[in-house]
Amino acid sequence: MTVAALSFGSAPRLAFLNLVQDKLRLILSVVGIALAVMLILFLLGLRAGLFESVRAYMANTPGSVVVLPQGVKGTVAAGSGEYLPAGAAETIAGTAGVARAIPILQTRAMPQFHSKKEAVYLVGYDPALGGGAWDLAKGREPSADDEIVLDRVLADRHNFAIGDTLMMSGVALKVVGLSKGTSSLSGSYVFARKSMVETLTLSPGALSAVVVTPAPGTAAGDLTAALQRSLPEASVLLKSQVMDNDQQTLATMIDSVLMLMIGAAFVVGALVVGMVLYTATIERRAEYGILKAIGARGGALYRVTLSQAVIAAGLGVLVGIGFAYLMGSLVQTLKPSFPVSIGPSAIVLAVGAGLVMALLGALIPARSVVRLAPAEVFRR
Amino acid sequence: MPNAGLRVSHLTKRFGSGDTEVVAVRDVSLEVAPGEVVLIMGPSGSGKSTLLLMLGGLLKPTEGTITLDGLELSSLSENRLPDIRLHSFGFIFQDFNLLSALNVQDNVAIAAELAGAGRKAAVAKAAALLTELGLGRRLHFSPEKLSGGEKQRVAIARALVNNPALILADEPTANLDSSHGHETMRLLRDIASERGRSVVIVSHDARIKDIADRVLWLEDGQFKRVVEMATDPVCRMSVERELAVTGVRDGETYYFCANGCRDEFLGAKAVPV
Repeated sequence: MTVAALSFGSAPRLAFLNLVQDKLRLILSVVGIALAVMLILFLLGLRAGLFESVRAYMANTPGSVVVLPQGVKGTVAAGSGEYLPAGAAETIAGTAGVARAIPILQTRAMPQFHSKKEAVYLVGYDPALGGGAWDLAKGREPSADDEIVLDRVLADRHNFAIGDTLMMSGVALKVVGLSKGTSSLSGSYVFARKSMVETLTLSPGALSAVVVTPAPGTAAGDLTAALQRSLPEASVLLKSQVMDNDQQTLATMIDSVLMLMIGAAFVVGALVVGMVLYTATIERRAEYGILKAIGARGGALYRVTLSQAVIAAGLGVLVGIGFAYLMGSLVQTLKPSFPVSIGPSAIVLAVGAGLVMALLGALIPARSVVRLAPAEVFRR
Repeated sequence: MPNAGLRVSHLTKRFGSGDTEVVAVRDVSLEVAPGEVVLIMGPSGSGKSTLLLMLGGLLKPTEGTITLDGLELSSLSENRLPDIRLHSFGFIFQDFNLLSALNVQDNVAIAAELAGAGRKAAVAKAAALLTELGLGRRLHFSPEKLSGGEKQRVAIARALVNNPALILADEPTANLDSSHGHETMRLLRDIASERGRSVVIVSHDARIKDIADRVLWLEDGQFKRVVEMATDPVCRMSVERELAVTGVRDGETYYFCANGCRDEFLGAKAVPV
């Protein structure tokens, strides 16, 4: 005697044939799941893109240790008016194991772009030491105090080009360069010489951060501890910690809304699978009853129902991934300040979400099939 | 095999209890030998379908036993019944009940696959059986493109694919025209005669008497009348033994529809009984 179950390949085959028999329903279900997956992926991609953009400045500034004002854990808070203690730059430079130190003065500013104002991250740096735009699309770094490098997307948005003048706190600043990868939803970057930012913030000699590169043979952790000892009135952190803190700050702001939207998309996807399968199962109730009457066990029919869900969800996930990439590039083209980064981990998550949608969606239809009494298929 | 065939002993099925109790089948006993066709007739609500469901292991009897080829089905656990249904029974339904998504060949093969055959073997078995039943050119057709008679032949092939000992047919000719009905009846007769299967048919269709060895009349859950059938050796007509004209030749009793057939068969040796 056997186990009265369909072989491994037969259940999916029957499931597939059941699905393709009603092509319109299959298309609708695949599109429904695809839209849910697309939304999930797009939102995850947007989240990842925002995280990348908030980490971008630190990630591209040389060094592995960051010295910040006391109590400050990240650069997102820059511009809050907290600065490193006076003489910090000299103390850092004089600490053993420091190979390079990049002083930065960062603040939030609201320059006048023609008729419109927009909040930006204004980064003051010394071109000789580093800390400016890491990827210049056009032009050059500021060589004078009244010169700035503008984020390219920001410049495009406000029809600014090299040679144009931007007014900031009553000071005319000439655009001499356009940078790439420095735009984000929370604000684009504008780079100026540190001395100019000191003037604009009325804070001569102020420093909001110093990014430090350890000398060869010096471990970043050891240097962090040494700098903390030298500057007890500052926060000394590994650069990776600062980037994580910045990401965490952003996550706190956006995650609750994004996760709610992702959850809604997931529920809609699971409902689509569930409804499609339920109606398909009810319509084939008699056929499932026949299979049970001739000897199929509940497990075999469960496998057929589950296979239908997995096939529909699998196709939906594939189409959804395609849709998400299309939507991502469309958004990047139309709204470059919306960074969308769909990485392998988001894809894995979307595939997992699709599978869970399929399993949840198949639950009720499968139960109804398993509970079906085969005697029902006989004429009464 | 001394216990071969179907033996039903004092079978009773009650639904509900107390004032609402309904006895659908009452103390029914029956034996069906291999190669025999038994037709169960009766008015609607007489308990025919309930009896068929119990015979097929789809409904547990309240009392009594059902034994097929020596195996007592009524005492088996629910868990074992699917395998028994797959290997020991072949079901034929009034509405054919083919799976619409599968082609003709796969509708038959799936029963073999459920019984444990590999895909290739199941398909080969299905194709051979369908070809034998005259559907060799329809293997890859969708069921909806078949005539009623063809659909019922596919259903018969599905019922036969696992070589069951007992074929249970529920109104197999109800949705067929006269010609396809006869074709199905002939097939069921052949399944019994040539393949040695026991065939139990539940039907309102009196034409099926022509292929039955016995006709049982079920009323109020009980067999009220048993009719032994015979075939007139001259005109091949099915006749009730009780009412037929009989004659003996070489010590054997024959049954005829009329004196003319008897006289033609027995000729000079006529020994009217």
